[in-house]
Amino acid sequence: MQTLAFWVLFVAFVGAFAAQVATRVRLIAAAPGAFALDDLGGRVQRFLIDVVFQVRTIRERPVVGLAHAFVFWGFVAFAGYTTVEFLRGLGLVDLTETRWFFAYRIILVPFASAVLAGILFLLVRRAIFRPATLGKTLSIESIVIALFIATLMATFLLAFNLEEASLAGRMNWWAHMLVILAFLALIPASKHLHLVLSPVTVFLKSPELGRIPNLDFEKEEIGLETVKDLPKKAALDAFTCVECGRCQVNCPAFGAGKELNPKTIILQTQEALLAGERDRKLGDLYSEKVLWQCTTCGACENQCPVGIEHTPIIIGARRGLVSNGEAPEYLGSMYNNLERRRNIWGLGYDQRQKFVTSAALETFDPSRHDVLIWLGCAGAFEADYQKSMRSLFDILRARNVRFGVLSKEQCTGDPAKRTGNEYMFQELATSNIDDLKAAGPKKIVTSCPHCVKTIGEDYRRFGYEVEIVHSSVFVAGLMRDVRPASAPAGAHETVTFHDPCYLGRYAGTVDEPRELLTKFVGGSVDFKEPVRNRENPFCCGAGGGLLFADKEEEPGSRISDVRFRQLQDTGAGTVVTACPFCSIMLKGAQTSAPANNVQFVDLMTFVNNRRRDVTIE
Amino acid sequence: MILVVAEHRGGKLNRATWEAIAAAQQLAAGQAVAIAVVGSNVGSIAADVAAAQVQEVVTLDNAALEPYTPDGFTAALQQAIDQLKPAVVILPHTYQTRDFAPKLAARLDRALVTDVTAIKATGGSAIFVRPMFQGKLSADVSPQGPAPHIVTVQIGSFRADAAAKGASPAPVRALAVTIDSAAIRQKPEPPFQEARQAVDLSQAERIVSVGRGIKEADKLPVAQGLAAALHAELAASRPICDAGWLPMERQVGSSGQTVAPKLYLALGISGAIQHLVGMKGSQTIVAINKDPDAPIFEVADYGIVGDLFEIVPAMIEALKA
Repeated sequence: MQTLAFWVLFVAFVGAFAAQVATRVRLIAAAPGAFALDDLGGRVQRFLIDVVFQVRTIRERPVVGLAHAFVFWGFVAFAGYTTVEFLRGLGLVDLTETRWFFAYRIILVPFASAVLAGILFLLVRRAIFRPATLGKTLSIESIVIALFIATLMATFLLAFNLEEASLAGRMNWWAHMLVILAFLALIPASKHLHLVLSPVTVFLKSPELGRIPNLDFEKEEIGLETVKDLPKKAALDAFTCVECGRCQVNCPAFGAGKELNPKTIILQTQEALLAGERDRKLGDLYSEKVLWQCTTCGACENQCPVGIEHTPIIIGARRGLVSNGEAPEYLGSMYNNLERRRNIWGLGYDQRQKFVTSAALETFDPSRHDVLIWLGCAGAFEADYQKSMRSLFDILRARNVRFGVLSKEQCTGDPAKRTGNEYMFQELATSNIDDLKAAGPKKIVTSCPHCVKTIGEDYRRFGYEVEIVHSSVFVAGLMRDVRPASAPAGAHETVTFHDPCYLGRYAGTVDEPRELLTKFVGGSVDFKEPVRNRENPFCCGAGGGLLFADKEEEPGSRISDVRFRQLQDTGAGTVVTACPFCSIMLKGAQTSAPANNVQFVDLMTFVNNRRRDVTIE
Repeated sequence: MILVVAEHRGGKLNRATWEAIAAAQQLAAGQAVAIAVVGSNVGSIAADVAAAQVQEVVTLDNAALEPYTPDGFTAALQQAIDQLKPAVVILPHTYQTRDFAPKLAARLDRALVTDVTAIKATGGSAIFVRPMFQGKLSADVSPQGPAPHIVTVQIGSFRADAAAKGASPAPVRALAVTIDSAAIRQKPEPPFQEARQAVDLSQAERIVSVGRGIKEADKLPVAQGLAAALHAELAASRPICDAGWLPMERQVGSSGQTVAPKLYLALGISGAIQHLVGMKGSQTIVAINKDPDAPIFEVADYGIVGDLFEIVPAMIEALKA
């Protein structure tokens, strides 16, 4: 009798679960494209780190992350227990009297206690402390789930003290099983679907941050215009979102008070998919204005514990807009400059040639030179950054590195790519690749992190692979065996470093700049870290074409102003940068800020000045 | 005979008409050139162009031809061409010409060559040069088929002052054309006049521009004094306009105006690239800045490293003397 009742409930609730999951799986399957499975080793490793060991969840918010980890590990540990009890309840086989099951239950006690402690902590945090990142309204569904989990653990522990056959014992068992069934029926329509989906999403996440596949113009791909264009991974992402708000809290646009909120983008996607709004324009769904507020810094995607990739959605939607001629006006003149002069400033080649001549640079010849220096548009045209380049050349010559530059460089296409002008990007990329292949460098060194990403990763999709490193990495390598003999002279300085997003986050290069900053300074420099540093810096605001944005949208401040204040707050008199765009944006913010004495210096200039003041043994 | 179609608006002849006349005279190489003036009450315009060395000026004067409409002009010119039988019709390549010339050519079913920058050969097999792909290529085009061929000439490609003037004014005669106003489908609104801005920096010959070095809004009179002494316009870099010390229309840079005056004086401007791209086309750049390493000195023709609050007043004094 009980078994029959159990079967009925089982079929009903599991059926409800399956039907809801099936809806979502169907929506994902109906989305275009395919899942990528390259770098299986890397994926497995990331799966272990992020899912099994919950590293990402714990790292960003240690206490909360650990509480969650307890709940997760408990869940996994309980899988066997739950299976055995269901088999018993369905009358299929009863393994509950075996000795191993008894031992298993004992082992589960610490797990259950950890889960209980964890879930109660999380419940109190959500319901009573109400952190901002969880939103203004209290999520009743989350409260219910939390209470369910607490009940499951409580009933499990209670079973030790109850006679199984007694009324209390049987009620306890039924309570436990009913909660599981209710849980099953509830989770697909809530953020708790991540229990099922997130291991998959994490595994399917691209091995490179901010992966934007090429558009295939032969197939007339133009980017994402409507909801039905969103690819499979985007649909999967939409249903995996845990609503934790890590993306939101780390987004620089959101942090500057703008309307862009990466979490909202994902949840809007989910809503639109479930509502079947296949033909709804993405520019309308996300709001075009919001799409152009993204600097492509990657913080959202990098912080997400469940493998969501926000960047391809935003840039994909931008591509859909640009293909229809709906790019903001300030990008129009940038695109014109790229098309006519092959650089974002619209300056003539003779300017680059002037610099090449005045810096006595040689044309790259693989038989004579160890490395190719990629000047980039800032190195070629921007007087301020050329000072940094000269410092770099100084250092290289002092260490007897033979280097040359291409006779002709075009913009790598990064600003075109990140703003959605894929056609312009591919034109520039294919032309540069031809020139690079003809020159045949084995190693490229550049001072622009955007060039590192674009040449190092985006060009690979055209079949061009080359080793390209940021100058900080190369110079740190050159200096590794150098030991300053004397203590440096010079006044005491407080210095801080602004990690460029494309260097710290995209390339993961955080140690080499610090190595260089502390190498030649002895005690004369106090090194301070700003909030948001290393792999999680707060963007300077230049990326995603925003360098050229003219009107400030209300509400919100400028991202560069916010970051400048953060750097000022370290108390440092000197801010060191390692990217030409960070330098431009932050110096601009400095002139807009109230009078201050902050000095900006590029990393190469800093190192070059210091090393010359010091005798090397 | 080569027929030039004059352009005018609001009772004033468009200067480009003289360029078209020059082109026609070059093409004619001795043959007759005539000018057609289309509109209503165009007597004074006709008298103006009669100064050219042409065989005659023909007015197509009809009340229905004012204001300009493509339907009206096409109908009028079609009749004129039927009567006058020119070998080539030449028009200046203006917005108005672009509006009706294709219609006219299609109506007559005759070749049309536009935006011509030069004439290579004349006579029966004339060759016209025109740009293609935004000026990346030049093409030699030879119009085929029966006369007339219709040609529009790029503004500035032929010199207005190269148009030969006649010893005495050419005869002006009216050519009767019938226009069915009911058949004119366009109903033009009065012309839209954009709100006149207080300043158009792109027209200024001299500009005095201020940057962060000016320090405070109430120090601006120093720069304004110099601008006045030089009869120059006042401009600024972005931080000044962002702070509201000067209006946005005075901003020079990648997110403001691009200017190319004869003289650009940069006071206390560091020369960040977003500003530079807005003024690097200036003929002479003078920079005053306390920082000897400021990037502005890379583009300046004359640079003074010093305090602008000392230097500018001294300059004003010198200019007054």
